[in-house]
Amino acid sequence: MNGDELEGRIVMPGELLSDKPERISYAFVDKGKTYSTVVGLFSNGKLVPLEGPYEPVPEDVVVGIITEVKFAGYSVEVNSPFPAFLSSREIREKFEMGDAILAKVLFVDEVRSIELADAKKLPPGRLVKVSSVKVPRIIGKKNSMIDMIKSATKCEIFVGRNGYIWIAGSGNANLAEKAIRLVEIQAHTSGLTDRIAAFLRGK
Amino acid sequence: MDSLNEIKRDSLSALLAAGKRADGRGMLDYRKIAIQPAPLQNAEGSAIAAIGKSQVMAGIKFDIAEPFADRPNEGVLSTSADLLPLASHLFESGPPGDDSIELARVVDRGIRSANVVDLESFFIEDGKVLALYLDIYVLDHDGNLIDCSALASMAALLSARMPKIEGGKIIRGEFSGKLKVNEKVVSCTFGKLGEKVFLDPSLDEEKGMDARLTLSTTPSHLCAAQKGGWGTFLEKDILDAFDIALQKGKELRALLPG
Amino acid sequence: MSSAGKPALLVDGKRLDGRGLEDLREIKIVARVLNDADGSAYIEWGKNKILAGVYGPSECIPRHDQSLYRAVVRCRYNMAPFSGMEEHGKSGPSRRSKELSKVIKEAFENVIVLENFPKTQIEIFVEVLQSDGGTRCAAVTAAAVALADAGIPMKDLINAVAVCKIDGQMAVDPAKEEDNYGESDMPIAFSPRTGEILLFQMDGMLSKDEIEKGFALARKASEKIRKLQVEAIKKVYEEPREERFLVISK
Repeated sequence: MNGDELEGRIVMPGELLSDKPERISYAFVDKGKTYSTVVGLFSNGKLVPLEGPYEPVPEDVVVGIITEVKFAGYSVEVNSPFPAFLSSREIREKFEMGDAILAKVLFVDEVRSIELADAKKLPPGRLVKVSSVKVPRIIGKKNSMIDMIKSATKCEIFVGRNGYIWIAGSGNANLAEKAIRLVEIQAHTSGLTDRIAAFLRGK
Repeated sequence: MDSLNEIKRDSLSALLAAGKRADGRGMLDYRKIAIQPAPLQNAEGSAIAAIGKSQVMAGIKFDIAEPFADRPNEGVLSTSADLLPLASHLFESGPPGDDSIELARVVDRGIRSANVVDLESFFIEDGKVLALYLDIYVLDHDGNLIDCSALASMAALLSARMPKIEGGKIIRGEFSGKLKVNEKVVSCTFGKLGEKVFLDPSLDEEKGMDARLTLSTTPSHLCAAQKGGWGTFLEKDILDAFDIALQKGKELRALLPG
Repeated sequence: MSSAGKPALLVDGKRLDGRGLEDLREIKIVARVLNDADGSAYIEWGKNKILAGVYGPSECIPRHDQSLYRAVVRCRYNMAPFSGMEEHGKSGPSRRSKELSKVIKEAFENVIVLENFPKTQIEIFVEVLQSDGGTRCAAVTAAAVALADAGIPMKDLINAVAVCKIDGQMAVDPAKEEDNYGESDMPIAFSPRTGEILLFQMDGMLSKDEIEKGFALARKASEKIRKLQVEAIKKVYEEPREERFLVISK
């Protein structure tokens, strides 16, 4: 098995990626060989999972919801199986339960608890939840996809790396949500920007 | 997750105040409805109904039972509902909770009060009658499970076959014609938030709304009703909803098999 | 394994439903049929109709079940009260259902990369809507697709199949009658990548030779089943659908 054969293909959990031990995200090495752990697209030696839970990495910008106000800070829901905490030391604003915020992942500890920083409150709006692995397509190359959706729908849209997307402003939020859903479903296909452009024009 | 609900309520009120819904529907529109009659073979009757992203299966089994002492000539109708843990992160494994009991009882009342099934025809001999078990199996939860369950149940009854009985026993796998169904009962469920009343609440709407009203109807009459939630309805709300339920009922009935 | 009223299970090398000894019943798998579940799959295997849904990883509740080192796997295998040919089933899990839930859970504990998700739980729910013998193997096969659909990292895409002894011959994938009247039943789940056995049960009476023959039959069948699993998963991406719903063949 070599990289060329796999290039651009959808691989399965347990599928052989390389006869050598290699460090590839979402892959594992067993008896000197490298295998996939996920349903993913293999391309340029990288494995991109097609589904999966949000796995936080420092510097990620995420959208979160304040779920608890504590003495030293806030518990925040960030679409992750792991708890996230925002320390009062890291912010100037005060938040209330239910506030939507945009924040940065400061660090992730050994049991994956998430520490947030640089938080700001988001304007009133609606929350759309997508699979976090689709976020790069929703943003697009150099923000092309999300900028197109923003300008066509006149909405303010905040995309969290964690798969939470916040749609605010007085624009056509229903259309923005539909466009985002369409990108989510077709994230792995090519020619997506043109199809979404056509969809936005059609409405 | 409570705070997520609060956010939903805020954006929901803003939309409804403007006469709009998050999925672009009108206030009195159903989501897309689909019915698959008789998908199963081991069950004597079955159906799947989907309203939007909600999916409910209904299954029917017949057994021999003893009649109730006060109704010795009538068969038994027993309805239960399972909110399966695979249907929603909100559902847990375990014995039926308040919501599933209410769901089963509301659907059951509609079927029972309109005499949808002729229970006297279930008499076999003294002390022996047929029991019809109607099981509502919620597979996917995106709101308005009552209407979805009522449709699945009605479709399952309409597709059900009567078991063949010999020597006071059911011969499994053999049948004696279709179950006789007297009436097609359908239910229409409304949500209310502030002053606004809307049909077929989605799960997001259910999380944010103040009250719920279900009206089960025959082509001409109300045959069961249930109000839910902490909010209130005015007399006028209910009378208006009844007119809408009769009118929407026609559309729902047209989707049911035979 | 009662012999009272036992029909002939093999006539001229053909089984009751016309299959040969190495033939599987018809299997159809569809991935992603539910909306709220993180992953889901529906399988028709002979007359079995089974739905699997997966949630997680999510915060493990109650907390005292949490592990600081890995995710906890939970499994509920359940039969619908209308799933059988016979009388209406009792609600609530039977002793049989509890045992099957346990052995299915243990098979998946081996392949899910649990150490990625400390303090969390991964839940596998299986609902047998119609049963026709071999529900646990169909359940494992569907649950593996549902887990892959949820994007939960696994070291392999596993499946299961049973072998049986009917009228003295080893055969693959017993149907209900063969299960009832056959001499032995041996369900096996394989990891196709390593060849390891993850679930193994047996009842009846088999010689060493017959066990070996059974393994060979099951392994061959397992390869065919894996192809169907892969097709079902790929179809989600090759033919993307805007709506998710369950369609049951008659």
